[in-house]
Amino acid sequence: MSTGLSPQAPSGAPPRPSTRRVRALVDRVDRRFLPVVGTLVTLVVMLGVGQQRYSTARSDFLSMRLLSNLLLDNSYLLVLAVGMTFVVLAGGIDLSVGAVVALVGLVTAKLFTAGAPLPVVLVLGVLIGTCCGLLIGVMVQVFDIQPFIASLAVMFLARGLANVVSTNSLKIDDDGFSALASWSLKFGEGRETWRINASMLIAVGVLLLAVYVLHYTRFGRTVYGLGAGDRGAAVELMGLRPARTRIGVYVISGTCAGLAGILFALYTKSGFNLTGIGMELDAIAAVVIGGTLLSGGVGFVLGTGAGVLVYGLIQVLIAREDLDSWWTRVFIGAVLLAFVVLQKVIAGRRR
Amino acid sequence: MNASARGTNPATLFQRVSQHGLLWPVLALVVLLLACGLKSPGFLDVATRDGNLYGQLIDLLRNSATPLLLALGMCLVIATGGIDLSVGAVMAISLAVSLTHLASVPDPSAPGAVATAVVLGLVLGVVIGAFNGFMVTALGIQPFIATMILMVAGRGIAMLITKGQITTVTSPPFKSIGSGFVLGVPVPVVIAGAVFVLVALAVRRTALGMFLEAVGTNREASRLAGVGARSTTWVVYVLAGLLAALAGIVYGAPTMAADANNIGLLKELDAIMVVVLGGTRLDGGRFHLGGLVVGALLLSTLERAVIVFELPSQTTPLFKALVLIAVCVAASPALRSRWRSRPPRTRRPVATEVAA
Repeated sequence: MSTGLSPQAPSGAPPRPSTRRVRALVDRVDRRFLPVVGTLVTLVVMLGVGQQRYSTARSDFLSMRLLSNLLLDNSYLLVLAVGMTFVVLAGGIDLSVGAVVALVGLVTAKLFTAGAPLPVVLVLGVLIGTCCGLLIGVMVQVFDIQPFIASLAVMFLARGLANVVSTNSLKIDDDGFSALASWSLKFGEGRETWRINASMLIAVGVLLLAVYVLHYTRFGRTVYGLGAGDRGAAVELMGLRPARTRIGVYVISGTCAGLAGILFALYTKSGFNLTGIGMELDAIAAVVIGGTLLSGGVGFVLGTGAGVLVYGLIQVLIAREDLDSWWTRVFIGAVLLAFVVLQKVIAGRRR
Repeated sequence: MNASARGTNPATLFQRVSQHGLLWPVLALVVLLLACGLKSPGFLDVATRDGNLYGQLIDLLRNSATPLLLALGMCLVIATGGIDLSVGAVMAISLAVSLTHLASVPDPSAPGAVATAVVLGLVLGVVIGAFNGFMVTALGIQPFIATMILMVAGRGIAMLITKGQITTVTSPPFKSIGSGFVLGVPVPVVIAGAVFVLVALAVRRTALGMFLEAVGTNREASRLAGVGARSTTWVVYVLAGLLAALAGIVYGAPTMAADANNIGLLKELDAIMVVVLGGTRLDGGRFHLGGLVVGALLLSTLERAVIVFELPSQTTPLFKALVLIAVCVAASPALRSRWRSRPPRTRRPVATEVAA
C-alpha cells in the first residue's frame, strides 16, 4: 500500500482556490505526519498518566531522570529500530537482528577472553552485523529470495553460530570495556540526578545520522522510492540505483544490529546465546508504533525514536503498577493493535 | 508446462525433473537419511514391538506431525498472499486452556473431561483465527502486522491463563493424543495424515483451492470475478488457528505441561520454513500441499541428523539455515535461468511460472 505518496484526487466539486490551497496543505500535513502525531499523542498521554499516578511530593514522574533512564535501558533497541526503519521503508523486513545481537555479544566476550584489544573487538563486533546484513542483502537482491525468508535464514545462522560459540553466559571483565560501560556524565542533584552515558550518545548519534541519510541524501530518497511498491521500477527509471540501495538497507540494518549487540553487551556486561529472542519483533513493533507503514515507503525515523520511547514507557508503567511482567507483552500487543487500527483509520479517511 | 515438455524421452524427463520445485528438498532429504543410515546402521530399520511400530524413522514421522499441521494452515494462508505469525502463540494458548481445564476437573482421566479440554483448546484456536481473519479482511491490515499482534501478546495471554505457572496434570487419555498408537501407528502421525487428506480434499476437490489461488494472485480481480475474497480469507485464517491449536495439543500432550513461555516458541518460523522448503513461494497465488510433507520430513530429519552425528543439539539452527539458504538459492530464479540457458536452446522457452 503506498497511499502516502500517491497524488490525491480532488473530491467533489472544486472549492474556491484559497480553501483548496488550505485543504491541500492540511491534507499534506495529514498524509505525512498523522501517524507520527498519533505516536506523539500516545507518548504525551502515557507521560500524563504517569505524572498523575506516580508523582510524589518530593519528585515528579516527568523528569530528565525518566528520559535518561528510558534511553539508558533502551539504547540498543533504539539502534535496532533505526536500522529496521531503513529496511521497512524500503519494503523489506529483517528478522535476523535479535540473533545477531546475541552472536555479537558472545563473540565480543570470547574475543576479550582471548585477549584481543578493545578497539579490535568493537570493530569486529559491528562488522559481524554488517556481514549478516550483507548476506541478507545479496540473497534478496541477487537471488531474489523474499526478505522474510532470507532474513529468517540468517537468523537461524546467527543463532546457530552463537550456540556454537557458547551456550553459557560469558562474563565480560575487560578493563577498557568496563570503563566504557560505566563512563557517564552526571547532572542534577539528589533525586533529580540524571546522566548521559556512552550507549545513549551512540544511540542518539545513530538516530540523527539516520535522519540525515534518509531525508537529505540521494540514498534516502532511493530507500523511500523502493518502498513505493513497484519493485523499484520507478526508482530505476529515475536514474537512481535500486540494486545497490536494496543491499544497502540490509547492510545498514545489520550494522545497526552489530552496534546494538555491542550496546547490549555494555548494558549487561556479558554475552549469552539466548538474548534477543523476539528482539526483532520489539524492533518491528517500535517501528510500527512510530508510524512507519510495514508495506514500505511511508514513515519517519524520528517517529521510530518516539516509538521506542512509547515501548520503554509501557515497561516503566507496568513496573510502577506492580503488574506481572507478562502483562508487558499483552500491553504491547494492545498498543500495537491500537496503532495499526489508527493508521488504518487515517489511511481510510485519506481515500 | 507446455506440450513439448510432456514427452517421455529421457532428455525431456530429465528436464522436467530438474525443473521440478521439489527436486532440491527431496534430494536433501534423501541425502540426509542415507547419511544418517551410514553413520548409525540401525537408523533406517523399522521394528514392531507389541504390535506398534518403532524405530528412528517412525520417530521422524511422529516429530513431523506438528510442523506439518502448522504448515498446512500456514500454506493456505500464504496462498492467499498472507502470513500467520501467531501460530506458535496459539499452540501455547490452546495447550494452556486444555491443561488448565483438565487441572480444574475432579477426574482428569474421564473421557468427557479430555474431550472438553481438547474442544476448548480447538475453539480458542478458531476464535484467534477469526480475530486474525477479522483484522486482515474487515480492517484491511497487512497480515504480517495483524498476526504479529497476537504473536507478541499471545504468550502473555497464555501466561495469564496459567497464572504464570507451568500447569501440569496427569491424564493418560490426554497424554495418548501425543504418545499413543492407533493400529501400530503413532497417534500424531494418524492425526496429521488425516488432517492432510481432509485439507487436500477440501482444496483440490472443491473450488476452495482455486479461490485461494485467485485471491492470492489478485484480490481485486478475484472479487470482481465473483470470488468471495473476504470469506475465503476468513476461512484460511480460522483454519490456520484451528490447526495451530491442534498442533499445540498434539505437541504438548506427551509432557502434559503447559509452559506458556516455551511451547511453540519460534514454531511459526519453522512452519514458514516448511512451506518454503515445500516449494511454495511467499508471494501467494499458488501452493503445493505435497511439498509440505517433504518440508516437514526434511525439518525433523535435519533435527535428528544433528543428534545422530553427535553434534551439539544447539547447533541445529545453523544447519536449518544452511539447508534453507541452499534450497532457496538452488531454486532461485537467478540460478535457474542461468542453468536453463546453458544447453543449446533447441526447445521452446519454458514458461517462467515453473519456478513457483
